[in-house]
Amino acid sequence: MSAHIANGRLVVWLTLFIGMMFQIMPLPKMVEAWRPDWLLMVMMYWAMALPHRYSILTAWLLGVMLDVLLGAHLGIRSLALSLVIYIVVLLCQQLRNYPRWQQSLLVACFICIYHAVIFWVQFVVVGAAPFNVDMFLPAISSLFIWWWVFWVLRNMRRHYKVR
Amino acid sequence: MTNNRLDPIRQSLSSVLSPLQYLANVPGVMLDWSAEAFATRNMLELQNKELLRQQLVMSERLQRFEHVRQENERLRALLGSPVHMDSRKMVAEVMEVASDPFRQFVVLNHGSQTGIYVGQPVVDAQGVVGQVVEVSEFTSRVLMVSDTTHGIPVRVTRNDVRAIANGMGDIDQIELRHVAKSTDIIVGDLLVTSGLGNRFPEGYPVARVISVSRDDGQSYAVIYAQPLAALDRIRYVLLIWPDETKPFTLPNDVQELIKEAADKAAATVNSSDPQPQPVETTTTPVTSEVNQ
Repeated sequence: MSAHIANGRLVVWLTLFIGMMFQIMPLPKMVEAWRPDWLLMVMMYWAMALPHRYSILTAWLLGVMLDVLLGAHLGIRSLALSLVIYIVVLLCQQLRNYPRWQQSLLVACFICIYHAVIFWVQFVVVGAAPFNVDMFLPAISSLFIWWWVFWVLRNMRRHYKVR
Repeated sequence: MTNNRLDPIRQSLSSVLSPLQYLANVPGVMLDWSAEAFATRNMLELQNKELLRQQLVMSERLQRFEHVRQENERLRALLGSPVHMDSRKMVAEVMEVASDPFRQFVVLNHGSQTGIYVGQPVVDAQGVVGQVVEVSEFTSRVLMVSDTTHGIPVRVTRNDVRAIANGMGDIDQIELRHVAKSTDIIVGDLLVTSGLGNRFPEGYPVARVISVSRDDGQSYAVIYAQPLAALDRIRYVLLIWPDETKPFTLPNDVQELIKEAADKAAATVNSSDPQPQPVETTTTPVTSEVNQ
């Protein structure tokens, strides 16, 4: 039993770190603006599936790490991530039972909230960042990638019996 | 306003997380490697020829430069001004990892292990890139001159007008703020670092003025310049240690000439003026800040 739990934790953290690596991976200039929010999606899946294990604190920790990796002011992404994950945890019962298309639309909304919060804090802390609708482009790409992320992570969860 | 209490935590966190950055950089490295490995003989020959040509042109220029440098040094020695020093330099590679989309950063593949420090100037083959703002064990982060929080003291080469060039968050534009409308700056002027502010050494090219407008509705002239460094596609940069200097070693004959000239000058002073007055030099302190 304990072996199972340890195994499950390893799987979850591995997926989270892979998500983080995708988040900072270099992309060609053309598609850079469309970079899907891998880390947020992976985190959302685990918060939806196992809200009693992976929720706001995990999101906060990952946010700090992402801030360090991106060179932003500490806490910007941890605030945005934990806020979104809080909403996801609140709605996890509904989200699980929604059809996939509805789920992905909501995910896109969450990603918009995430980027809006980041922009707002950045604006307050650093200042002088011009508002650009381009910052919501990741929501569109994430909308489609969510199907795949959800499918992969659910199969993984079932296969490794993560609980 | 800001304090640095979290800096050690941040530094150790970023040291711990740097393997992730190296891992994310792997696809880019592999692409580079494959481009090199599968280059055809023809391409290599072409490249080789081009490089040889460039080297010839550069070495010719270097010969002239060497002559001018020696002349400059002799004149400076005669004037009693401090001679320019050669500072320690190191080449670093830019790691291709994503950074905060609202800021202008690049990550380098060297860190405090190789002696990189916060505030260190970074240049590339064409001009100033920016300065180091964050150092971990194996990586460091460079704030580029085009970032909104970056300012660099510059000087116009044509007439030595001083100004501060601020980034605007645009990769190919920086602006000169608070320049009076009557100031003599025209399109095409070259801006080089002025050495004020003690962060960037003097004389590195920064940008070229691309537009000047003196609108009556504005209190100051609106001046935009384009950074000379190719900020959007830098691969290799040069890190400079301005404090670790070593003097250029002058050839012996030049040193003798200088000594001779100095003796001659001393002799004439003694003969014409029996009681030489101590020469007083006054220096006006000039302060300038790199706003961070």
